[in-house]
Amino acid sequence: MTVHAFHIFDRKGKTLFTKRYSSAVKNQPVQDVELLSEQRKLIFGMLFSLRELVGSLTPEGESPALQSVKTGAGTLHCYETISGLRIALYTNNNPNMGSTARNLDTSKTSFQNALKHIYSELWVDCVVRSPLYRPGDIQVDGHGNDVGRFDIRSTNFEKKLDAYLASMPWFR
Amino acid sequence: MSSKSQAAQAGQALWAKMPKANAELFALTYGSLVTELVRDYEDPIEVNAQLDRIGHSIGVRCVDEFLSKADVAGMGLTTQCQNLRDTAEVVAKMGFKMFLGIQAEVGAFSQDQRCFSIYLQDNPLSTFVELPEDDPSGGEDLRRLKYSNLYCGVIRGALEQVNLKVDCNIVRDTLKGDELNEIRVELKEVLADGAGDDYKEE
Repeated sequence: MTVHAFHIFDRKGKTLFTKRYSSAVKNQPVQDVELLSEQRKLIFGMLFSLRELVGSLTPEGESPALQSVKTGAGTLHCYETISGLRIALYTNNNPNMGSTARNLDTSKTSFQNALKHIYSELWVDCVVRSPLYRPGDIQVDGHGNDVGRFDIRSTNFEKKLDAYLASMPWFR
Repeated sequence: MSSKSQAAQAGQALWAKMPKANAELFALTYGSLVTELVRDYEDPIEVNAQLDRIGHSIGVRCVDEFLSKADVAGMGLTTQCQNLRDTAEVVAKMGFKMFLGIQAEVGAFSQDQRCFSIYLQDNPLSTFVELPEDDPSGGEDLRRLKYSNLYCGVIRGALEQVNLKVDCNIVRDTLKGDELNEIRVELKEVLADGAGDDYKEE
């Protein structure tokens, strides 16, 4: 089970944080920034549209929440907060939980729990509480030329995130 | 109503888990902030606006912390508030309790259910505070200062992050002689969840 990428989007679709964890990344030339940003917009657009769809399909009284999108190549796990923050984790498809008797539900909930933990412990603690944080004004790629915008790299969010994901049994 | 007591209990549990600060330090820090603002701006209306802006910044950050703590603790926030009444309960019973440790009540819902009031019996920001009497020589009239206007900004900022655009005003203030503090909250509109500028059609 490998984690390929991790994204955080805000309510308006701006990418707040993104990271690729691919063992093959050294073999690829540095991808065009435009291309990556297009990909992220597509992911956000998909999550946004799916949320509308799920909302209209859900029976009355249940809470609509998109948990994951599974394709042949991989699974995109998502968690959305009421404040509109969307966290997406893209992994490949083999849950290797150490015990084959586990049913699929447990593997799904542990992803949801992991994403929840990332939100509450890591995001809120490192980013929201940082005195430089300004919602809606976050710089992602680090080569914008506006000075004074909050850069996530000024917090230790990324380090803590890496440490947390590495401690998960399904991360390799 | 069961949701009322649920919210109150949840608020109590959340408050117990939060790290605490010294109440006097808090009140005095806020007091010196307001004093500096009054010195800088001199016009109490302008100071009110500044306090609202500061509160707005605070509210925008508080809401994420609140949602994450309440969610993780399984306090039933996974089902969203169905109407403004629930929202009011959550803000007063859980929000104010969690961050300030005070018990706030809601009431005075308007006919169309778009306005409500939050009542605070004791206001931790205004311990040790006295507003000066009217200055007969016509200096700035500090009676027009809304000392706790920070709360209005916080509520406004926090609700804005969950797509509710509200207007908040302090209606009654213990510093001005009323028996309790009242904040009137009016729902202006429910914002739609749109995609931002990046996604506009070309």
